[in-house]
Amino acid sequence: MREVAVLGVGQSQFGKFPQKSAEALGIEAAAAAVKDAGIRPKDLQVAYTSRLINAGMDSQKILKEVGITYIEMVNVENACAGGSTSVRGVWKDIAFGLYDAGIAIGVESITGSPFAGALLAASEDLEAELGLTMPALFAMIARRQMAECGATLEDFAHVSVKNHHHGCLNPMAQYKKEFTIEEVLNSRMICDPITLLQCCPNTDGAAAVVLCSMDVARKYTTKPVKIIGSALKSGHYKYCQKDLWISPFGAETANIAYEMAGVGPEDIDVVELHDAFAPEEILRYEDLGLCKRGEGVELLRSGATELGGRVPVNPSGGLLSLGHPLSASGVRVVAEIALQLRGQAGKRQVEGAKLGLAHMLGGVVTGLEGGACGIHILSR
Amino acid sequence: MAEKVPLKEGLFKESQDGGTLLGNRCTSCGKIFFPKAQICFECGHEELAEVQLSRRGILYSYTIGHMPSRHFMPPYAVGYVDLPEEVRVFAPLVTTELTPFAVGMKMDLVIEKLWEEGDKEIIGYRFKPV
Repeated sequence: MREVAVLGVGQSQFGKFPQKSAEALGIEAAAAAVKDAGIRPKDLQVAYTSRLINAGMDSQKILKEVGITYIEMVNVENACAGGSTSVRGVWKDIAFGLYDAGIAIGVESITGSPFAGALLAASEDLEAELGLTMPALFAMIARRQMAECGATLEDFAHVSVKNHHHGCLNPMAQYKKEFTIEEVLNSRMICDPITLLQCCPNTDGAAAVVLCSMDVARKYTTKPVKIIGSALKSGHYKYCQKDLWISPFGAETANIAYEMAGVGPEDIDVVELHDAFAPEEILRYEDLGLCKRGEGVELLRSGATELGGRVPVNPSGGLLSLGHPLSASGVRVVAEIALQLRGQAGKRQVEGAKLGLAHMLGGVVTGLEGGACGIHILSR
Repeated sequence: MAEKVPLKEGLFKESQDGGTLLGNRCTSCGKIFFPKAQICFECGHEELAEVQLSRRGILYSYTIGHMPSRHFMPPYAVGYVDLPEEVRVFAPLVTTELTPFAVGMKMDLVIEKLWEEGDKEIIGYRFKPV
């Protein structure tokens, strides 16, 4: 298995752009990543693009406008973990010696489609028919967090306040606005106890990363950021999940990535993770081993996960504030960690970050604990 | 007269005393599944027998939705109910004078109309507080 460098990163502005096509957003991100890499478009040999809504031939449609054709192209879907799946696809091809350079793209245009605002599980899914929506699921999990982990409504709001504060420092963020705990708790109720400001918004956007072998990287940079761990896993049967708030497959995906990387959670300097709903960020700390099971609330309250703390989580603003273009997010978190490790994260820079973790989750399917979890660990 | 159509065949059985959910049980290891499994996910055995699940369970978690789901207008309640067969069922809930809901409440199955599609009534299941 060869080392893989993250040579270039790019993303579009995140926000509501009902008039912009997904292709246009994808082109913006892909062109930015190629430019950032400094590589010639025709030196790229493989492409993976992820999109969920209205997907179809997205690699081809986007890349032809960036000067890339005639290579292996794969279009993937894995709900909100689609972007992680794209990155992993390119990573795998380079790591195992099939290609030397490639691009992973994730793109989503939600506001232009009737899907907007719905956040439903896959069609024909029994539980979706019976009233299960994403916010409903996370609300039911939040209720168990309150029953079993001592989590309070203020803790949930705190996650939102933190990530919106971070978002103010990110020029690409959909929302650059500070909120107080009261404002978060008093915002419109979505699924009790989750309020509007505890939910990620509907976001259109795209992100892209250019990956390559170390030989290729050395032609362009003396200090490449590397992917040292990659893992993608789908959920086990829900009947095996005793506690709704404990995600065995999330923790196991992290273990696989840490083992490949040869590091532990205590070594991680910065994290970007799936915070589609504020209460779940607390559980993700536990999945990633940043603290023990059941102690995520203490970690949050300690301030460790805000900028300036021991292990800042979602300094980008996260899905809550930067936004969540579904298939783009898995790529965006990798791009963001790469920027952090390069020291190019501007006002949201985590000082001296050398090791970062990019996590994304996706998909709700009846009978399963979860759809997919993708994790990449990067080092400088 | 509206035609009554079950949400899905084989998911539940209506009867005089309120009906039951239908799962299946592995004839080798005894694990019970709802909805029914095609093969035993626990041991891989291919023969499973239909079983009627208990009508009463414990509310494991719930929420009140204030935005529309596919078929239900807000506010609507949904939750997970744990049945004695070690099966956790997701279902819409019936709001009664016994609510607000609380984790740990005893809940009973109700087979009833869930929504309408054209001139059809879609029949399914909810749980209501005892």
